[in-house]
Amino acid sequence: MMKENIDDLKNILDKEFEDFKSAVKKVETLSGLENIENRFLGKKSLVSEYLKNMGTLSNEFKPIAGKTINDMRRKISERLSALKEEISLLEFDKKLRNEKYDISLPGRKIKTGSKNILNQIIEEIEEFFIGLGYEIAEGPEIETDYYNFEALNHPPDHPARSLHDTFFIDENILLRTHTSPVQIRYMEKHKPPVYVIAPGKTYRKDYDVTHTPMFTQIEGLAVDKDINFGNFKWTLETFVHAIFGRDRKIRFRPHYFPFTEPSAEVDVSCNMCKGSGCRICSYSGWLEILGAGMVDPNLYKFVDYNPEEVNGFAFGIGIERIAMLKYGINDLRMFFENDLRFLNQF
Amino acid sequence: MKITYNWLKEFIENLENISPAEIAEKLTMSGTEVKKVYYLGENFKNLIIGRILSYEKHPNADKLSLCNVDIGKNLLNIVCGAKNFKDNDIVVVALEGAKIQDFVIKKSKIRGIFSEGMMCSEKELGISDESDGIMILNDSFKIGEDFASQAGLDDWVFELEITPNRPDCLSVAGIAREISALTGLKLKKQDYVSRYIVNKDEKLIIDIRDYDLCPRYSAKIFKSNDYPDTPLWMKNRLMQCDIRSVGLLVDLTNYVMLESGQPLHAFDLNKLYSRKIIIRKAKKEEKLLLIDGSEKILDENDLVIADEKGPVALAGIMGGKDTEINEETKEILLESANFNGVSIMKTSKKMGFRSEASNRFEKKLDPENTINAIGRFEELLCKICNIKSENTFYDNYLNAKRRRSIDLRVKRLNDFLGTGITAEKISEILNLLGFENNMGKEIITVEVPSFRFEDIEREVDLIEEVARIYGFDNIPVQTPRTVAKQGRYTDEQKLVRKIRNILNGMGLNEVINYSFIGKKDLLMFYLDKENDYKDYVKIINPLNEDFEIMRTSLIQSLVRNAKDNIFKKLNNIAIFEISKVFKSVKIDEKKKSIEKNTLGILLSGKSSLKSWDMQEKYFDYFDIKGLAESLLDIFYERNDFLVREHEYCFFHPSISGDIMLKNKKLGVIGKLHPKIINTLDIKQDIYLAEIDLDIFIDNISKEKEFRQISSFPPVNIDMAFIVDEEVKCQDIENEIILSAGRNLQNIRLFDLYRGKQLEDNKKSLAFSLEFNAIDKTLNEKDIELLIKKISGKLSKKFKAILRDQ
Repeated sequence: MMKENIDDLKNILDKEFEDFKSAVKKVETLSGLENIENRFLGKKSLVSEYLKNMGTLSNEFKPIAGKTINDMRRKISERLSALKEEISLLEFDKKLRNEKYDISLPGRKIKTGSKNILNQIIEEIEEFFIGLGYEIAEGPEIETDYYNFEALNHPPDHPARSLHDTFFIDENILLRTHTSPVQIRYMEKHKPPVYVIAPGKTYRKDYDVTHTPMFTQIEGLAVDKDINFGNFKWTLETFVHAIFGRDRKIRFRPHYFPFTEPSAEVDVSCNMCKGSGCRICSYSGWLEILGAGMVDPNLYKFVDYNPEEVNGFAFGIGIERIAMLKYGINDLRMFFENDLRFLNQF
Repeated sequence: MKITYNWLKEFIENLENISPAEIAEKLTMSGTEVKKVYYLGENFKNLIIGRILSYEKHPNADKLSLCNVDIGKNLLNIVCGAKNFKDNDIVVVALEGAKIQDFVIKKSKIRGIFSEGMMCSEKELGISDESDGIMILNDSFKIGEDFASQAGLDDWVFELEITPNRPDCLSVAGIAREISALTGLKLKKQDYVSRYIVNKDEKLIIDIRDYDLCPRYSAKIFKSNDYPDTPLWMKNRLMQCDIRSVGLLVDLTNYVMLESGQPLHAFDLNKLYSRKIIIRKAKKEEKLLLIDGSEKILDENDLVIADEKGPVALAGIMGGKDTEINEETKEILLESANFNGVSIMKTSKKMGFRSEASNRFEKKLDPENTINAIGRFEELLCKICNIKSENTFYDNYLNAKRRRSIDLRVKRLNDFLGTGITAEKISEILNLLGFENNMGKEIITVEVPSFRFEDIEREVDLIEEVARIYGFDNIPVQTPRTVAKQGRYTDEQKLVRKIRNILNGMGLNEVINYSFIGKKDLLMFYLDKENDYKDYVKIINPLNEDFEIMRTSLIQSLVRNAKDNIFKKLNNIAIFEISKVFKSVKIDEKKKSIEKNTLGILLSGKSSLKSWDMQEKYFDYFDIKGLAESLLDIFYERNDFLVREHEYCFFHPSISGDIMLKNKKLGVIGKLHPKIINTLDIKQDIYLAEIDLDIFIDNISKEKEFRQISSFPPVNIDMAFIVDEEVKCQDIENEIILSAGRNLQNIRLFDLYRGKQLEDNKKSLAFSLEFNAIDKTLNEKDIELLIKKISGKLSKKFKAILRDQ
């Protein structure tokens, strides 16, 4: 039976709350929390008992007691629901943690393929020259003598023809020995300014560690007003730095090609020995990477350009050679053996 | 070509002030590439000239002698196995540390007696193949001196690469001229021309039938009763230049050729039938026995030297056996001629034979040079044989004008090179190269010397000469004027590159194969029986028979790649190639070749390996078909393409078809015929597709249009049809697409059933269809109508029965 003394009531309820607090301190599970809820808010709890017996109290005391008890009830209830959320989160977390999952097991990979190394190099070179305003041209692999030799300033019986071991289809038809015929074909169809490169397969009758009967070249041609040898040097120097890195040195060595005048072979400093000489560069410190030169004005006659109005330069790059130097590939024949272990490396 | 430093010194004043390495660098950077430069003496260290004072039999060996040899500073005891010496002979002694044929000499006991060195044979020294006894030197060698310097081996060798436009540089004299231009050092003048007066006594008549083929024939007769052995220094120089010493007269012709660039030939005068030398074309079927013992049957394209009886030499290539000089020869006719380069090249090519001489003639030599060679030959011969010069020089020279003058514009040169070289500098460079010139302020008039007549024809040729001597390195790098053009790929080029990237993403490795195959590859794949593949382009001079046909298909190459990899136990293969194939076609009765860009795909082995949560899976026909479809899907509408049955000899007869694009053949697809698999001796299936990339790309529509996306929910329904086994799934699917109209968004065959629930020879095809309209939610009535329409069409066309849902 409740005494109608507010202080007594408060003391009793405060004590009850203290009990509640010490009870929840130890609780860790939702079921434990349910027990506590029963004990302090359930039918048999002190708070419920008191509220049940409210009718027996005097009208003066009833509202005061009611408020006091309900305040306590709310206090307990609020604390309980806060705890409930806290514990259920903890339990959820615990449940997730108990899910066994070995994330170190191998994933289901999707097999990707590979672009052929030669095409990768070609595209790299194409991107460089597109950036300089060049177009990409193509030409036939079965060529006429005219485009492969004659219009490139190799008249019949020219001694330089013997440098090309040519595959013939008939007397006048052959497999192109270089991508240079595309120069003539392109100039026939376009007026200057001409800025073009032409990648493609080329053929020569030669087969050993350093020669395959088919190989890949990129031809380059720039013809415009006011082009000079200094521009030619700039273009190829910038190209070499883009492909091999800015730290590589480059030199232009005079050479002879029938369709350029002056002609040069371009060497890049050897990366293995940094120019001091090693087996790779035959102890010269330099690696030959391309042949080039100023377009011989004779060519302009074949394509109806005026040699007094335009100058130009041309170059031919061996793609396999670039790939070998860039990646240290030591046998040319690997490019055409198509061993999957080779293909997958690039 | 090889030449030596000391040899060059004979031509250039004060050359010793410039090191061999420096010369090599200068030559390389002016267009005469020096492949290698090396010191000779390295191999001739610790070799001393000695004199045999006395010798006796080795006490413990019958075949050995014990020699007492004076090497200047001291006397040595040397055990020797040779027998060809006597007291006072001068010999080469290898001391401790000398390297003889990769063997280092040490003091050692031979049969109990200490030998303090070794006496060497010519072979041991690498001078000749003479190994019969030790080398006995003449009195000119000084006892105690270093053998290398005495024998001219204290020298450097330059290995040069001469470009075909510079035959003048195929000689010591020519290289000396280059070095002189590069360094400013003076050439030592060697003038033989003014000495010679042509003998008109007609004791020798030179009859040139065609000056086009032989612009000049100079000759001189020499006579000596005795021809001594070739001097050692000359033997050594020849050896350094990879020419074997065979006897004084031949050695001299070779030596003078290396020095002057002019090939020479010596006939035994008394073996010539007549004193009339005729330079003419050979007659058809005329025969000539050459020095190397081979008999050649000639024709009108070959130029010969003949006497009145018949040919005695193949001009510029090789002399005849019958007039060859030998030990008995006393009197020789020395030929120093100039022949047409093209004619020599053709004959030498036909004979499959190139000599030092023909290699030079091919490149067109200077006819002015013939006298220099005779003069030098005479100078050396008279000295060695101790004979006097006689007036026996004969010459037949058309003397065509070999002078040319070219105007060189100073401004043009500098515009062309991007330089500011002065007229004075240009003139000086040209002078150093032997080009006399008249320097004006704007124009320099240049006289081209005879020895450069063939390759300097135009202003630009002179610009090159100036540029290479001025130095390419000294020409400043200049950024080009901005190019007013957009750099780009064409649409077609972009598409090829895109297709390549897509295939890479689909897991395929890109291969590149040779464009040629062998006839047997063609036959193995029965391509000779297929109209689309049988007309091939053939190489008339293939590397070998495996490389004689330009491939008409990529299939054989891809299968070869598969086979090669399978043989290396790399069994799981997914590869593609984008290359050209070549076909021979007849246009207006003329054979022409066409090239087509082609994509080939090959799958074989496992598509996925067994792993901890997946079963392994092998590639099959539907993998390659799916791949082709996925690729086509990216660029085309679903009903633009289909696969139609078509039997190809190289495919499995039941798994072989054409890929059709907009009703045209795009390519082929199928399973490689098991017969071929057996022939190849491999044990796994191969699936192939080949697509004409030109057709593929040409048909792609350039503009893509956006299709509205519906904001209403889609409706999914399944429909299964029972049809006869013969009915093709593709036809059913196409009909559904046609009759369903534009609201059909997706169609997918999700089940194929044959079995108990169906009659024999029937199958059930179950499709999942997704409908969606752009303007409304499709209701039940709409769908019902669609189902009715579809099933009606299918029933009519294929007697298809719609199964209950």
